[in-house]
Amino acid sequence: MTKPYLELKNLSKSYDGRSRALDAVNLTAAKGEFITFLGPSGSGKTTTLMLIAGFEAATEGEILVDGVPITRVPPHKRGIGIVFQNYALFPHRTALQNVMFPLQMRKMPKARATEKARAMLALVGLERFAERHPREMSGGQQQRVALARALVFDPALLLLDEPLGALDKNLRENLQIEIKRIQRSLGVTTIFVTHDQSEAMAMSDRIVVFEGGRIQQAGTPLQVYDRPVNEFVARFVGDSNLLPLHLTDPASGLGEIAGIGPVRLPPQPARQPGERATLLLRPEVLGLAQPGASNTCRMRVETVVHFGDSALLIGDAGGTALRARLPGQAAQGISERAEIALSWNPAAGHLIPAA
Amino acid sequence: MRLLMLLLGAVVLAFVATPLIIVVPMSFSTAVSLEFPPPGWWTGYYAAYFSDARWTRPTLNSLGIAAAVAVLTVILVTPATFALVRHRFAGKALVNLLLMLPLAVPHIVMAIGYYAFLADVRLLQTFPGIILAHTALSVPMAFLVLSANLKGFDRTLERAAMSLGASPAATFRHVTLPVLWPGFAAAALFAFVQSFDETVVALFISGRDTETLPRRMFDSIRTTADPVIAVVSTLLFVAVAALVILPILWRGIARRRSEARP
Amino acid sequence: MSATAAATGESSLKSWLLLAPLLVFLAAFFVVPLAQVVVMSVTEPEFGFGHYAEIVTDGFHLRVLMETFVTALVVSLCCLLLGFPLAYAMAAAPASLAAAMMVVVTMSFWTSFLVRTYAWMVLLGNRGPIAQFAEWLGFAAPELLFTRFSSTIAMTHILLPYMVLSLYGVLKRIEPALPRSAASLGATPAAVIRHVVLPLAAPGIANGLTLVFVLCLGFYVTPILLGSPREQMVAGVIGQQVEEFLAFGEASAMAVVLLASTLIVLGLYHRRFGLDRLWG
Repeated sequence: MTKPYLELKNLSKSYDGRSRALDAVNLTAAKGEFITFLGPSGSGKTTTLMLIAGFEAATEGEILVDGVPITRVPPHKRGIGIVFQNYALFPHRTALQNVMFPLQMRKMPKARATEKARAMLALVGLERFAERHPREMSGGQQQRVALARALVFDPALLLLDEPLGALDKNLRENLQIEIKRIQRSLGVTTIFVTHDQSEAMAMSDRIVVFEGGRIQQAGTPLQVYDRPVNEFVARFVGDSNLLPLHLTDPASGLGEIAGIGPVRLPPQPARQPGERATLLLRPEVLGLAQPGASNTCRMRVETVVHFGDSALLIGDAGGTALRARLPGQAAQGISERAEIALSWNPAAGHLIPAA
Repeated sequence: MRLLMLLLGAVVLAFVATPLIIVVPMSFSTAVSLEFPPPGWWTGYYAAYFSDARWTRPTLNSLGIAAAVAVLTVILVTPATFALVRHRFAGKALVNLLLMLPLAVPHIVMAIGYYAFLADVRLLQTFPGIILAHTALSVPMAFLVLSANLKGFDRTLERAAMSLGASPAATFRHVTLPVLWPGFAAAALFAFVQSFDETVVALFISGRDTETLPRRMFDSIRTTADPVIAVVSTLLFVAVAALVILPILWRGIARRRSEARP
Repeated sequence: MSATAAATGESSLKSWLLLAPLLVFLAAFFVVPLAQVVVMSVTEPEFGFGHYAEIVTDGFHLRVLMETFVTALVVSLCCLLLGFPLAYAMAAAPASLAAAMMVVVTMSFWTSFLVRTYAWMVLLGNRGPIAQFAEWLGFAAPELLFTRFSSTIAMTHILLPYMVLSLYGVLKRIEPALPRSAASLGATPAAVIRHVVLPLAAPGIANGLTLVFVLCLGFYVTPILLGSPREQMVAGVIGQQVEEFLAFGEASAMAVVLLASTLIVLGLYHRRFGLDRLWG
């Protein structure tokens, strides 16, 4: 990684002096990176955002932007743009006046401020709505104004606090692409907070998974999806089968799953014989077994859910609940209560060491 | 059952409305005493009201006093409301109770209290005396109105302002104040009306030169039943009607205008 | 003003600084005058509890107190009886009709006590519409004004908006599906009101009754202008003692009794519901 632009060093936050909402968080981000904080509510992702923004004071630790500590700088001097969950547009100001606000606070001459704000509104595609008040705009339009307002003063960082949560699905997807496009074109380092894993997968350069006030894993979307470091991450990101595994002979790549039998292990660093681990199989790596395939199991189908392009089969394999996602074609003709044989490529699995 | 309730409701509504409306025809009546239906019509008592200093003077007194009370009340109540709504501190419940107390004490009790107190500090029958007393009595309603508004205020607006570079003072000036101004206006209006209508305390502490309109009306009803009282009542009724109906119309127009946009 | 400062010592100091102007003002111009009433009740014209002894022993004061309490009770119940159907109709009516009804109630609420008192003098006067109607029917005009009846009906009218607004607040919040589901479970319309609507409206009823009762206890203007001179209420007697006899001690003692009664009623409400809801 290049020289870190944003650094969180050993950041902790306690509200009551005993329990920790945030516990020793360390993280660096490069200039221009798009990072998503992903986690359930209460996991510490929003607390971290509030600490970076300066609305909460860190109990311990340091925040640096471009090498400068800002931990004790008041929020209005940090120069960080924030888009809030409910947009927080000033209701008494028009869209243009909202976008001009940070420039006005920086004593920019009015003519230049107007010009700059208009240009920013154009960038988010709202130049025609400049004179509207927030209440005269749709949620998606308000969202864009909030984004323009947070970007117009060339902030050191852009923070987005679940900004798409209140919008319906189609609009969300459009805005995801839109935000990504604008972020790229301006090259602003961005932190995006969400509890929606598909949103995180779609938008991020890197995903940071939070749980219990700690960072569980930080990595690219594919790293987090394919090689989660623990069961929490595996469960939280994507659909998953987590199968308890007995490493019978790791040297030759063999293990055993109770009720299913011996299986070939994914090519991961060697472990001790007799050790226990969890095998992660994403439902889409399971396929209908061809004759003679290794790594097979028999599943009694209990429920079939058709999505058109694919189908999810939920059933039981030797006492273990299993979910398999097959292409729509392949799933045709499989009825509930059918017995089917499934197999998977050993390399498509992922071993998670026992906690 | 439901129909019966609705029917009863309509009857009660008529009971509420009739006395309000009846003062209007009375004000155009030629009758010298309380007579209804009026024996004849004219506007002579309106002329009488507007040309008689015994009526115009108390009216102006009351308007001036109420305006001063509204301003003073909002100035005093605003910082206190911010402290009570936004901060936590020991003794808060007690302060809350003290602020509401003027609403709980019957005005006749305060009337004799103010009578004695203002005589001691030589403010009896003066404008400052009436203004101070009315301000104390207006505190609870102004506080209730303002704190309801402040509780409904979305504080992320302030956070947003700060993140955009506004200092705490600039945040208050550019965001908190303009967003909350309808609340301030409502609080001031409550204080104004409270003072303008207050009768009992004013009866005891206002004097000949500082007579308020309610005091003048009270004396007039009690002693002579001067027909001008119907004119004053009608004017007050019309003022209240404007106060209640205009905001509704205004909101309706604003809504239609914003809906008219694509 | 920042959220981080909440609940810290620094913020506590700031809170008191923000509160100081109002607290000093209320102490000087509200608490002191109020305390003066209490002091005068035992010092005017000389120190002692004589006025209180008098109130308890002589028949006149006790009769006035009884009269006041009974009137307040009657007015409260009348307000409930009239207010409930109106609030119910407002809650049940379509939005625009409900808004129009609300305008009438709010206008009554904001119209000066004096105006409404005067209106009742017109309505009930011996040349008023009721008297004239009676005469037209061939009866003698009834003496309505300056009686217990006239002051009760006017006070009911004046205080009714408090009751209606209290009741409307709770009735409006009743989930419309509740009465419907009760009906679907076999409750008759009367049973729906008795077993579903009334229990849910109970806090609003208590609220309205308390407000009306307390305001009525201290009512001065209307009983004096409209009531019978022989059946005075406490506030009127207090005023009379000051105005006509300059008997500050006696008046203050009665005022303290009135104040105590008011505070007791409010205290009872506070224990059950919490005072902050009363004017909400």
